[in-house]
Amino acid sequence: MTEQPRRRRFSRVARILSRTGDQVAVRRIRWLLGIYGLLIVVVFAQLISIQVVDADDYADRSVRQRERTITLPAVRGRIYDRDGDVLATSVDGATVYADPRAYRPTETPDGTPVPAAAAAADVAAALAPILGRDVADLTERLEQDAHFVYLGRQLDWSVGEEVEALDLPGVAVLAEPKRTYPGSALAAQVVGFTGIDGDGLQGLEAQYDGVLRGKPGTLLLERAPGGLDISTGIRELRPSQVGTDLVLTLDRDVQHAAEVAAASAVAEFDANAATVVVLEVATGDVLAMASSPGYDPNARIQDDQDAWRNRAITDVFEPGSTQKALTIAAAIEEGIVTAETDVEVPGHIRVASSTFRELSPTGEPTLTVGDIMERSSNVGTIRIAQELGDQRLDHYLRAFGYGSPTGSGFPGEASGMLMPPEDWWPTSLPTIAIGHGVAVTLLQLAGSYATLANDGRSVAPRVVLGTVGDDGRLKPVAARSGEQIVSPSTAHQVQGLLERAVTGDRGTGSLAAVPGYMVAGKTGTARKPATDGSGYSDQYVATFAGFAPVHDPQIVVAVMVDEPNPFYGGIVAAPVFSEVMEAALIARRVAPDGSATTLPAAMDHARAQALEVAEAAQASLDENPPPSGPGGASGDPETDEQGD
Amino acid sequence: METGFGEDRRAKLLRERVQDRWGSAYAPVKHLDPLLVVLALLLTGVGLIAIYSAKLTALTAQGLSPTLYISTQLIALVIGLVAMVVASLIDYRHLRSYVAVFYGAAIVLLILTLTPLGTEINGSQRWILFGPLQLQPSEIAKIAVLIALAAVFHEAKGEPGLGHVGIGLVLTLLPMGLVFLQPDLGTSIVFVWLAATLFLLGGVQARYLVSLIVAGFVGVIVALQTEVIQAYQLSRLTSFLGASDPALAQGGAFHTRQSLIAIGSGQFSGKGLFEGTQTALSYVPENHTDFVFTVIGEEFGFIGTSLTLALFLLLVWRGLRIAVMAKELFGTLLAGGIVSMLALQVFINVGMTIGIMPVTGLPLPFISYGGTSLIVWFAMIGLLLNVHMRRF
Repeated sequence: MTEQPRRRRFSRVARILSRTGDQVAVRRIRWLLGIYGLLIVVVFAQLISIQVVDADDYADRSVRQRERTITLPAVRGRIYDRDGDVLATSVDGATVYADPRAYRPTETPDGTPVPAAAAAADVAAALAPILGRDVADLTERLEQDAHFVYLGRQLDWSVGEEVEALDLPGVAVLAEPKRTYPGSALAAQVVGFTGIDGDGLQGLEAQYDGVLRGKPGTLLLERAPGGLDISTGIRELRPSQVGTDLVLTLDRDVQHAAEVAAASAVAEFDANAATVVVLEVATGDVLAMASSPGYDPNARIQDDQDAWRNRAITDVFEPGSTQKALTIAAAIEEGIVTAETDVEVPGHIRVASSTFRELSPTGEPTLTVGDIMERSSNVGTIRIAQELGDQRLDHYLRAFGYGSPTGSGFPGEASGMLMPPEDWWPTSLPTIAIGHGVAVTLLQLAGSYATLANDGRSVAPRVVLGTVGDDGRLKPVAARSGEQIVSPSTAHQVQGLLERAVTGDRGTGSLAAVPGYMVAGKTGTARKPATDGSGYSDQYVATFAGFAPVHDPQIVVAVMVDEPNPFYGGIVAAPVFSEVMEAALIARRVAPDGSATTLPAAMDHARAQALEVAEAAQASLDENPPPSGPGGASGDPETDEQGD
Repeated sequence: METGFGEDRRAKLLRERVQDRWGSAYAPVKHLDPLLVVLALLLTGVGLIAIYSAKLTALTAQGLSPTLYISTQLIALVIGLVAMVVASLIDYRHLRSYVAVFYGAAIVLLILTLTPLGTEINGSQRWILFGPLQLQPSEIAKIAVLIALAAVFHEAKGEPGLGHVGIGLVLTLLPMGLVFLQPDLGTSIVFVWLAATLFLLGGVQARYLVSLIVAGFVGVIVALQTEVIQAYQLSRLTSFLGASDPALAQGGAFHTRQSLIAIGSGQFSGKGLFEGTQTALSYVPENHTDFVFTVIGEEFGFIGTSLTLALFLLLVWRGLRIAVMAKELFGTLLAGGIVSMLALQVFINVGMTIGIMPVTGLPLPFISYGGTSLIVWFAMIGLLLNVHMRRF
C-alpha cells in the first residue's frame, strides 16, 4: 500500500501512485512516466539548441533564403572644367547578357525534364553580327557552366535595341551606365578614367572616387520558394544617390592650347614627352596641365600605360637654370646683392675638386646680377650662392616648395628631391645653386614661379574648384592661404630680372615673347640622370618657366620637354611657353600691356635675333659639354654642372 | 420498547436523506475534471491561431477568405465538443459490451478506404468522403483498438496469459496492417505504441514483452529486406538525420531543413503573431497540418513552443492521474492508452519539426488542421472525463 515516505515528497503523481500501488497497471504507469520524462528532456534539449543556441544562425538562413537584394547602381558624378564644360560624364550603355542554362536540357527540382530552349550555336550566330564578335567565341561563352555570362558590356543603345528585337531565349539586355569623356584626350591624364564597373582607376576619377561614385541603392524583395518575387511581400526601396559633380580649375581652352603646343613640341623636336602647367597667380588654380603623348580614355588600350601618367606631378627632373631665379631671389631677400650689384665673374670657378665653367664667357671681369640672370651665368650665380651658404639656400628652396608635394592633392604626386644640407657635399652648394643635384616636378616649378609672380607670397596650386551636390550649388573647396616667402620688393626685383632674360639683347629666353604682352621667364637645360643611377646620360631636359604680364603677373606657365633634339631650353621650351601663354592670356581676358617692341611686327625681328643668340648658346654647349660625374639621385653631385 | 407512530418512518427518511446526501456527493456529474477540458480548449485555440496565421498569406494571395480553414476547424470543434459530452455520458463500463461493434465498424471503414470509395490525397488513400465531410477512419480505429485491447486485458484481471497476448496481437495487427496499406506509416506506429502501452499496463509478463520487442525488430528488418516498406519511406525515415547538410537540401531532408529554419529563426521570443515569414511564404510544407508546430515556433519563439508543450504536459499529467485513480482496470487501461497515444503523437510530430524524428504524416493533437483528428481527440477527452467521474 505505501511506498517509501521519501518518494511522497517528489510529486503529486507519486503520492497518487503510492495510494493505489498494489495494482500491476498502476505500478507500471511509473515505467511510462520514465519514458515520457526521457522524451521531454530530448525535445526540450533540441528546442533549446535550435531556438536559443543556434537561433541566430537559423535566423540568418531564413533571411538569406527569403530576401533578395538588387543593387541599383548610382549615376556617377560628372567632371566639369571651370566654365562648366563637361570633361567626364556617364551615359546609359546597353549590356547584353545570357543565362547559359537556357541552352542545355535541365530538370525542375521535382525531376521534370526541361528541354533546351535553343541551341547555343544558333543564338551565337544571330548575335555575332550585331555585337561584332566571333561566333565561336560567343558559342563558347554561351556553353559555360554558369547562370550568367556577359556577351557585351556598355554597348551603344541601338545595339541593345537590336538584340532585344531578336527576342532570343536566355538573352537579355540591361542598361548600364558607361563613362564617357566628351573631350576624348582633353585633360585625359588629369581626369583619369574608370574601369568597366565604374570604379575610378586613374587621375581624379580615382582620387575623388568616393565623391563621384554616389551611393548605390538597393531594392529588397521577398522571395517565395523557387525564387519568384512575391508581389505582396516586403519591398524596400533605398534609391541610389547620384554622385557629386566635380568642378575643376582647368580651362578647357587653355588646356587644349597647352596640349596642342606640347604635342607639336614632341613632334618638332622628336622628343620623348612634353609637359605644360598653367597656373593662375592669384588663386593657384591650375588652368591647364597637359602631357604629351596623350591617350583617349574612351578607347584606351593597355599599351598606352605610359601616356596615362600625369607627368606634371609624377615625373621629376633637374630644373637647371630656371632655378637661378630662386637662388638670386634668396640672395636679394637676404640683402647679399641687389639687381644692380656687380659680381666678379671669372671664366671658371673651382670648388673642392670640381671646376664650374661659364658656358659662353663674356670676357668682361664683372657682371651685374641682372646680367647674370639675362645671360644665365653659372659662375655668377654660384658666387652669389656661396655668399648665401648651404643653410639659407636650402631654407629658401624649401620655402619655394622644393622637397614636398604642392598639396594640390593629386594621388601619386612626387615630392621631388632636395637633400638636407647636413648631407651636402662641398660641391653641393654650387651645383644646387644652378639647379642640378635637385629634382622637382613641373607643378613644383610652376608653383615657385607663381610665388615670385605673386609678389613673394606662396601660391598653393589646386585643381578642384569645388563640388556640386544634389542642390545644384557649387560648394567651393577652401583655398589655402599662402605665406610670404620673400618680400614684395625682392619679388619685384626678380620679376624685372626675369623680364630681361626674355627681352634683353643677350636674353636666353627671347623666343618666349608673346605679342602684345610683356613676359618674364627663364630657360633651363639639364642633363638627365642615367637610369642606372651611375651619373648622367647624354639626354637633356629642356625647360622654361615664366609669367605675364610682367607688371601685374596673372598667369604662370611652366614647360618641360623631355629628350628633345636639339635640347636647348631657349629653342625648345621657350616657343611652347610663348604659344601657351598667349592662349592663356587671351582665354583669361588679360589686358595687353605690350610695348612697341613686342608688337607683332617687331616680333619677327626679335625672334630672328633671339634664335641667333639661342643657337650660339646651344652650339657652345655642344662644343663644351658639361663634365659628367656621379650624381643625381645617387647623391654625389660633384662636377655635373650644365646650363645655358 | 414502543415507539411512536411514524418514528421508524422518520428515522427511515432521515437515513435516506443522509444516504442521498452521500450518494449525491458521489454523483458522476460532481466529479468532472474541468482542467482537462480547459487544457483541450486552450490547445485547440492555439491551433486555430496557428492555422489562421499559416494560411493567411497564401489564402489572401489566392483571393480567398483567410478564415477558410479555421471556420471548418471551428465546426469540427463544435462536433468534437458534442462527441466529448456523448463519450462522457454513457458509463464507460458499458463500452465493453459494444466493443465488438465498434471494432468491427472501424475495420469495415478501414477496408472501405482501400476500395474506390476512399479518397487519395498526396499519394495516400486515407479518407472517405461523406458528402462534404471527409472521414479519416484510421483516427476512429485508434479508439476502437484502444477499447478492444482494454477490454481484453480487463478480462485478464492483470494476469494475462499467452491467449490474451495472442488475441491482443491480432486485434492490433489487423487494423495496423490496413492503415499501413494506405499507406500511413505514422498511424501504424501509433497502433504499435498503443498496443505496447496496453500490454505493459495490462500486466503482460516482462519476458513476453521482451520477446515481442525482439520479434518486432526482426519483423521490421524482414519488412525492409522484402521491400514491404518502400525505399522512399525508408529514405524519408532517415533523411532527417542529414537535415542540416545543405547538400541534401533538395532531397528528402528539405522538409526538415525548412522546418528547422522556421522554428530556429523564431529565436527566443518569436517574430510576433502573423509576422512569420518562412511558414507564411510556404517554405515549410503542410504548415497548417503536420508542420503546424513550425508556425508556433516561428511566431512565438521558444516561449511559445515551451508553453504549448507545457499544456500538453499538463494534459498528460491529468490523464495519468485519471488512470491511477480509476475504479477498475478497464478505466486505467483506457486512460493510460489515451495518454500514451497523446504523448507519442506529440513527440513524433514535434520531434519531426525539430529534426529529431523522421517525417511521418502524424498530426499534432488538437492543433493540426484536420476535423476527424480534432473530433476524435475531444471524444478521447470525453472518455477520460467518463473514467474520472465514475471512479467511485
